[in-house]
Amino acid sequence: MTTHAPRSNYVAIWVWLVLLMAAGVAASFLPGARALAVTAIFATAVAKALLVALHYMHLKLEPWVIYAIALIPVTLVAILALTLLPDFSFHH
Amino acid sequence: MAIQVQEQPFYGLTPAKVGIWWFLASEIMLFGGFIASFVVFRLGATGWAEAARHLNVTIGIVNTLILLTSSLTIVLALAAIQRGDEAALRRFLGLTILLGCAFLGFKVIEYTGELRAGYAPWTGTFWSFYYAMTGLHALHVLGGIVVNVVLLVTTEWRRRSPHRIEVAGLYWHFVDIVWIFLFPLLYLA
Repeated sequence: MTTHAPRSNYVAIWVWLVLLMAAGVAASFLPGARALAVTAIFATAVAKALLVALHYMHLKLEPWVIYAIALIPVTLVAILALTLLPDFSFHH
Repeated sequence: MAIQVQEQPFYGLTPAKVGIWWFLASEIMLFGGFIASFVVFRLGATGWAEAARHLNVTIGIVNTLILLTSSLTIVLALAAIQRGDEAALRRFLGLTILLGCAFLGFKVIEYTGELRAGYAPWTGTFWSFYYAMTGLHALHVLGGIVVNVVLLVTTEWRRRSPHRIEVAGLYWHFVDIVWIFLFPLLYLA
């Protein structure tokens, strides 16, 4: 983390996190299209995770090597899910 | 002959920071494996949505708020130590510990209610996943609390190595991010 780089407004980020959580909970009560509600729920979760990682973990101030360390396992997990998925799709 | 060891800068990062990020990478694989398996099972299984309706969403929301707030307090503790404000550091670190304890307290209440209603880890695959993922996460919260307590009470050690607050904070934020995904996955979707 670069100590002298400008920092985020941590309280404002927290307000956004709470608003996004409320939006995710509200989306779960949406009547009708369940797929749309689930997409909205996980979109808000991804937005919250990005806010925490970029502003609270200061990823936005880190060099590329930290992104590489963090993204390699994320990619591996995505590959794991994608390779498992066809097995269940064919069975159901 | 004496051997001299010289620290080589690695993209301006401290070894502790590189170390914690490698540790977090292994944690991403651990929780990511659980979450990916859960999603795949969830897409293929029937009756999981019905089982999930028995979870206490209110406690889930309260615990989410608690962890989000604790992420704020620990980043404020880091900001405090960087400007040399020892009193603020102790205040925010103490608040983070209290919030972590509150999270675990609500989790105990939730588990107790579920077990009394007959939903145990062996009740079904959904419940096995639920207890395994949330239990492992709760253990991580407990580990974070222990680290934060050690940092709070060992004043001199902390003063000599202020970067430890940042490393502990990175771990705590990661635990928060895991819950950010567990909450919608288990309680909402």
